[in-house]
Amino acid sequence: MRIATSQYQSTMNLSLTLNQDRLSHITQQMASGNRIQLPSDDPVDNVRMSRLRREESSLNQYRENIAAVKIRLSKNEDYLTSMVNDMIQGRDLMVWSSDGANTPEDLKAMVTPLTSLRDSLLYTANAVDQEGRYVFSGTQTDVAPIAYDPAAPLGSRYTFVGNTNDQTVVVGNGITQVANGNVKGVELLLNQLEMTVDEMSKPNANSSDPVLRGLLINNLDGFDDALDLVSGKIAVLGGAHNILDTLDINHSNVSLSNQMALTDIGQLDYGLAATELNGYSNALQATYKAYSKIGNLSLFAAI
Amino acid sequence: MSIMNNALTGALASQMSLAATSQNIANMQTKGYTRQMAVLTAIGPETGNNRSSGNGVAVNSLVRISDDYKTQQMWRANSGVGRHTQSQPYLTQLERVMGDDAASLSAGVDKFFEALNAVAGVDPTSTPLRQQVLTAAGTMAQRFNNLNNVFNAQLQSLRQQRSAIVSSANANITNIASLNRQITIAAATNTNHSSLVDARDQAIDALALQLDLEVSDQPDGSRSVSLKTGQALVIGSVAGQLAASTGSTQTFSLDFAGTSFQLDSVSVGGQLGGLGGYERDILMPLQKGVSDLGEQIAAKVNTQLAAGLTMGGAAGGPLFVFSPGSPSNMLEITAGYQTDDLAFSADGKPGDSTNLQRIIDIKNQPITVTSLGTVLIGDADTQLTGKLAVDSQQNRSSLATRETIRNQSVDDWKSTSGVNQDEEAINLVEFQNMYQANMKVMSVANALFDATLAMMG
Repeated sequence: MRIATSQYQSTMNLSLTLNQDRLSHITQQMASGNRIQLPSDDPVDNVRMSRLRREESSLNQYRENIAAVKIRLSKNEDYLTSMVNDMIQGRDLMVWSSDGANTPEDLKAMVTPLTSLRDSLLYTANAVDQEGRYVFSGTQTDVAPIAYDPAAPLGSRYTFVGNTNDQTVVVGNGITQVANGNVKGVELLLNQLEMTVDEMSKPNANSSDPVLRGLLINNLDGFDDALDLVSGKIAVLGGAHNILDTLDINHSNVSLSNQMALTDIGQLDYGLAATELNGYSNALQATYKAYSKIGNLSLFAAI
Repeated sequence: MSIMNNALTGALASQMSLAATSQNIANMQTKGYTRQMAVLTAIGPETGNNRSSGNGVAVNSLVRISDDYKTQQMWRANSGVGRHTQSQPYLTQLERVMGDDAASLSAGVDKFFEALNAVAGVDPTSTPLRQQVLTAAGTMAQRFNNLNNVFNAQLQSLRQQRSAIVSSANANITNIASLNRQITIAAATNTNHSSLVDARDQAIDALALQLDLEVSDQPDGSRSVSLKTGQALVIGSVAGQLAASTGSTQTFSLDFAGTSFQLDSVSVGGQLGGLGGYERDILMPLQKGVSDLGEQIAAKVNTQLAAGLTMGGAAGGPLFVFSPGSPSNMLEITAGYQTDDLAFSADGKPGDSTNLQRIIDIKNQPITVTSLGTVLIGDADTQLTGKLAVDSQQNRSSLATRETIRNQSVDDWKSTSGVNQDEEAINLVEFQNMYQANMKVMSVANALFDATLAMMG
């Protein structure tokens, strides 16, 4: 085939452009460490990576939710544990006061600890968090769960005015966890306690008085019921903690495998890139050499 | 005496050949130059003379060494390059914007739903977390607006570019018509018009980059140029005139000899058609798709909010305002929206998060997006970007193919019409030899003549 002199030039230009373009592309890849510089470099893998990132975003959110819920559950557990401690103390006092050998003075001496126990239980049941929300009102978080009405007849002054609705948090795909609690049932104990304290503080309180004895026996049962109730709640919280821990580990495993997939798909294979870089720079150098040879070749130089 | 005459014609012929060679060498680097060659033919003896070898050599003509098929190939390849070369920068820009991990729509949508989830994780009444929802909603809306602005800017730029291409194409069309006229005159007066033909071929090549052309040769030396779709652009020395409309959608028309034709903005081909195709098949559907996504997220979130109750116990109002016609504020947060206005509760209890959970679930609901069909909200942007990436990849590989074809056809053309300096060096030496040989013949003839004269003396 006949070759025009300008064909050499354009072939040379083309080769230089091509090699320099590839070199610049590989340099960019090496600088960023990413194999895919633009989505069109590999549309399919780009979609896969985008989906992995979406899943990562959901997983991160689940894990953040789990961390937040665990803090809430731990706090709830602390409050409930302190109630249990109060109740055990109260129950001991009940057992002691049920002893018929107690003098009226002995009984009066018990009024103060029982009163402070009652107030402590009420305080814990009506606990609020930093933003002023009641912890144990169910979903009625703007109302103190246990209300006190001094005008009501003795034995029904404490009432539970929260609700028992659940507040759920998504902690996995289709998995929810209840994050709130309520103290429905504790008001019964508080009412019994108030009646007992009232009877004990009467001037002629007598431990062998059948009325007081009846109250004390009821109250002892009340303490047992309340202890069962609150301990049951603590047990549920402990179980929830375990489930959340397992879920968190599952999420972190999936997240790890996502991260690895992202790396596998998106990261540059430096070995391969270095080899390519070498190839193209060799080609470029060869082009330079070829041009310096061919550029000097001319019949005019010989005539 | 015929020896002397033959030597003279030989010397003249070699001079003309040397002149053609010198012109070729002078134009070795001239773009579009077609090499020329003097055609030498032997002159036979006069009739009735069987003792004469002939009357020397004559230069019948100078020929342009060109192959019309190859020039046509070159033009056709240029239209293919034009079709794909202009849309690539637009595609790459969109890819960079939509493919960015941190600034993409997907990331914005993720952040909005993450903020909602964070409220659900701690407490639905938490004011700072509710504030975060409003902030994330604002950021997401801003991303939709930013992307929409990029689309609008591209549309604007496309129109300006096409107007510029139309003016430049008009200049080329006028140029071709005027060269046609000069060539017809030169041909009629038997003047060498090779350089005019080169100039016209260059102008047609430039026009072929802008539009898909059909070129046909006329007997008078002129070339008729028409669009692939049939409308004439140049006939002889009559030139057509392209025009771009200034309405809301840009349309194109061609005025030829008092008649106006409406042109299809895509099938005109070349750069103009490539940009038209990008606008019609990629940019507009993508803009509509993003707008669909924004509209339906806004509608779904607003509907679900309306089903819930605010912290004040009132029915929830719309969080998003979607205005499809707005050039810069397609998606916005309702003015004056407060954290208390977020209706997360289903039963009016402040700690209830049932409605919030339903809002969070919107991310996994299907919506209908133009050019994608039914997709999940969380996946819509991924698929839109994926589609753009496939389109861009297709255009990139088409462009590479067209450029290879164009380079090949230019090489083909050069192979026929381009100057080879070594070939010209040989011509230079050989015609110089021929000239010197003829001079020698003259001196031999002179010697013969002198010998004859000496005999007489």
